[in-house]
Amino acid sequence: MIALLGKRLAAAIVIVFVLALVVFYLQHISPLDPVHAMLGANASASAIAQQKHALGLDRPIVSQFFHYIGGLLHGDLGTSYRTRRAVSTDLGKFVPATAELALTGLVIAVALGAIFAFATTLRWRGSGIFRFILLVGSSTPAFLLGILGILLFYRNLNWLPATGRTSIDNAPSGPTGLLMLDGLLHARPNVTWDAFQHLLLPATAIALGPAVAIGRVLRSSLVTDQRSDYARTARAKGLGELRILWKHVLRNGIGAALSMTGLQVGLMFAGVLVIEQVFSWPGIGQYVAQSIPVADFPAIAGVTLLLGVTYVVINTVVDLLQAWADPRIKL
Amino acid sequence: MAVAEPIRLEAVRPRFRKPKLLSRQLSRKLNIAAASLFVIMTLIALLVPVISPHDPLTLIGAPLLAPGKGGFLLGSDSIGRDVLSRVLYGARASWFAALAVVAIGVIVGGVVGLIAGATGGWVDNVLMRITDGFLALPAPVLAIAVVAALGPGFMHTLIAVSIVWWPFYARIVRGEIRNLAARPHVEAAKLARNGRFRIAFRHLLPGAIPATLVTASLDIGNLVLTLAGLSFLGLGQSAPAPELGADAARNLTFLLQEWWVPVIPGIAVMVLALIGNIAGDGVRNLMEPE
Repeated sequence: MIALLGKRLAAAIVIVFVLALVVFYLQHISPLDPVHAMLGANASASAIAQQKHALGLDRPIVSQFFHYIGGLLHGDLGTSYRTRRAVSTDLGKFVPATAELALTGLVIAVALGAIFAFATTLRWRGSGIFRFILLVGSSTPAFLLGILGILLFYRNLNWLPATGRTSIDNAPSGPTGLLMLDGLLHARPNVTWDAFQHLLLPATAIALGPAVAIGRVLRSSLVTDQRSDYARTARAKGLGELRILWKHVLRNGIGAALSMTGLQVGLMFAGVLVIEQVFSWPGIGQYVAQSIPVADFPAIAGVTLLLGVTYVVINTVVDLLQAWADPRIKL
Repeated sequence: MAVAEPIRLEAVRPRFRKPKLLSRQLSRKLNIAAASLFVIMTLIALLVPVISPHDPLTLIGAPLLAPGKGGFLLGSDSIGRDVLSRVLYGARASWFAALAVVAIGVIVGGVVGLIAGATGGWVDNVLMRITDGFLALPAPVLAIAVVAALGPGFMHTLIAVSIVWWPFYARIVRGEIRNLAARPHVEAAKLARNGRFRIAFRHLLPGAIPATLVTASLDIGNLVLTLAGLSFLGLGQSAPAPELGADAARNLTFLLQEWWVPVIPGIAVMVLALIGNIAGDGVRNLMEPE
């Protein structure tokens, strides 16, 4: 287990390093000149040279790269051209909203995927509808789900709110930044309930696609293991089908579903960026959307690094979880 | 599972109903019909300039007409352009873009996978480490960074998505090639003193085609969705060009009143992805019968 941990951590560090290299390279080939972006078109030649020196752009490229990596290690993601603030400061403001949305989406995706898989494996009454949901769910863009959700649950039924994170003016802003949790910590259950209502539509919209993928993989391993010898033994001693799946088959079959969940997180990040536009969610997606039209590359690079590192960390954890669920995995 | 089944005891088998709803021949015909959706959709996309009722860019009527009003089947948008024509042109662009990215992925990934799988040794190691590095990062997020660096634009989006898409195919082709390389026919070819290139192209590559084709056809729907997402974020063609994701995003302000203006492009994306997925399933069922 220790050896596996070391191996996985080493691999994760290498990948993050490569990611930093890629982002640095993109910055380098980008036709946008950071000095012009900062000083404007009318800057004098000497001001440009001075700024270039200040940014270290007059140094050799390898030296620039190590300077960049050094900055990253100290949490310096550069300065946004648009807001003129440090990208890390900007991101700090937007991360909690996105984290809350993505986490809720992930929980919904796993829960829905598990329900799909169990219902179709056990052939529950009415589980035929899931085949339809699987096909349509894997073909529907997240933004369409969001839009239709707003039309149905806000415009027509008025059950759920359509925009933002909360409708409470003095909602707590700390300590975690996750409104549902902060509401509980401040003993204000109405804040938690309100945040939950705001989360429900966008989180479900980003969850459906990943839920389909997770459900499919989980179902196929459940079905395979359901026919195995040990499941037959459990059946022979009189256990019910649900109990066999839950107590015996699930642990064997969960590995593939876990790694699919890890992979789907990447897709979910893209979904989050899009869905935040639909719901005016004050998260990273808004930051990206505002940065794209003005070609604010440091901001987008910061988001790429943040999401990339999160993705690598999550998948490393997934690998370790898999080894925990199935100790035969050594690699 | 290729393991031999032990004695069958009806009492201890799970309660599987195996519905034989369709005869084998009928289901084969259905699969062929599904797979041919690829061809049909491509033909429709080619014919869009002919079948589209109006120009997607010209203002030709009152703004925000409901579907069916004023002779516009799907209504008109906020400045009076025909929504149906915009959706048709947008779908055409999406479809060709998805095909193009898959084609580039298959070609680039195929070459890398073939070189890695057929050569083996350190070449294989280096190429596959690079591939793994790509696969360990979230592709859509990386694509956003690449477009942002190159500057927005349709070609740049295609380039960006292709850059993050090929490693997937390299992995698949390489895996198939490695499996084939251990087969007797390849050994026989080696003993017959065939050259390295001949073995790679005559004896290894053809065997990798079915799996790659199945993966590629199942991938079209995915790409339609990914590209629509990027377009929604503003990383596609610039403003007046008809594009499904961008048309949905730009018209979000009308959602609560003239809801069809943003919804229709979204539904078009769904239909396109659905066609891709159904056709992909058809191809898979035809090429990999259980």
